[in-house]
Amino acid sequence: MTKQQLRRTLSIFLTFLKFGCFTFGGGWSIVAQIQKEYVEKQHWITDEELLDFTSVGRSIPGIMIGNASVLFGYQAAGVPGALAALLGIVIPPVVIMLGVVYVYDLVKDNLYVARAMIGVRAAVVPIIFSAMQKLFRSGIRDVFCFLVAAAGLCLCLFVKMSNVLIVLLGAAAGLAWQEVRARRGLS
Amino acid sequence: MVYLELFLSFLMIGFTSFGGMSMIPLISDQMLTHGWMTAAEVADIVAIAEMTPGPLGINCATFAGARTAGVAGAIVASFGVMVPSLTLAVLAAMFLKKFKDSRVLNEAMYGIRPVAIGMIVAVMVQQSMNNYAGTLFGCISWPAVVIGLVSLFVLLRLKWSVPKTILLAAALGLVLCGVETAFPLPV
Repeated sequence: MTKQQLRRTLSIFLTFLKFGCFTFGGGWSIVAQIQKEYVEKQHWITDEELLDFTSVGRSIPGIMIGNASVLFGYQAAGVPGALAALLGIVIPPVVIMLGVVYVYDLVKDNLYVARAMIGVRAAVVPIIFSAMQKLFRSGIRDVFCFLVAAAGLCLCLFVKMSNVLIVLLGAAAGLAWQEVRARRGLS
Repeated sequence: MVYLELFLSFLMIGFTSFGGMSMIPLISDQMLTHGWMTAAEVADIVAIAEMTPGPLGINCATFAGARTAGVAGAIVASFGVMVPSLTLAVLAAMFLKKFKDSRVLNEAMYGIRPVAIGMIVAVMVQQSMNNYAGTLFGCISWPAVVIGLVSLFVLLRLKWSVPKTILLAAALGLVLCGVETAFPLPV
């Protein structure tokens, strides 16, 4: 490892630890922070590169922001940089959640906490619904997408098929459909 | 061996989900089939993950892992969900150009995005049957229904942030469930 690489790796780790503490509301707040720190201030990467990291990060399975952090870290300081970014981003939430779990188990049977939790649970479906609207706009582009979504829903609710299998079926359907379209376009 | 099971479970969740809310159906499926959590706890985990910093996937993995097998369980589960970032994202970083215009990936995503939406709707249905269940007409909890409608309104119309909505829902839960207990409906 070169001296510059070492210095960068350390700096990435510490900066991403800081990012990891303030990532409310999904990964986009981290993207905004990376933009501010590394595009505008340090000039390590360009806006276009950051856009690539997020769009590629989104199309790889797993945690979008974890993927984007790895792509950024690799670009900035190779594999050590990638690991530093990923660890930095996940350590704070893991530590915080461990505290939350401890408290949750202590208080969840308290009458007043239980009542508040009934309210919180009632808000979960609306929360998922509001998040899904954005997904809906980017995910459902034509009738084919709509049918696949309906099929996914039915397989989940009525066939009780494993969700892992349903995702794989979705991938297969996407590949098959694009193949059909490509052939039609050629002939 | 619970650690291995946790790791494999979250490995599968990691490899078949694409960030944020698309993880919820997979997490719900794995937690319920393994008996690691109840549907109510899955709702709690979504709300708690939205209230604490960090990616949803890491928060859920830590929560589920810690409740199932303590701190070691939390680490193992979080590590499992990070594997795609550690493998696929590193590969993608090495071959960023090729990855960016990968046709197969884009075509698979064409089917995966809608199928994920279908799965999220299925989770919403399952969660609704659990979170709004109560004694009114033998099946409905009126406080939960009221809170659900209020949450939907503040999220969609007033554009409230998710943490703020959750706090409101918790407060309403305290008040309305108190009212429900004090003045039980004659049904």
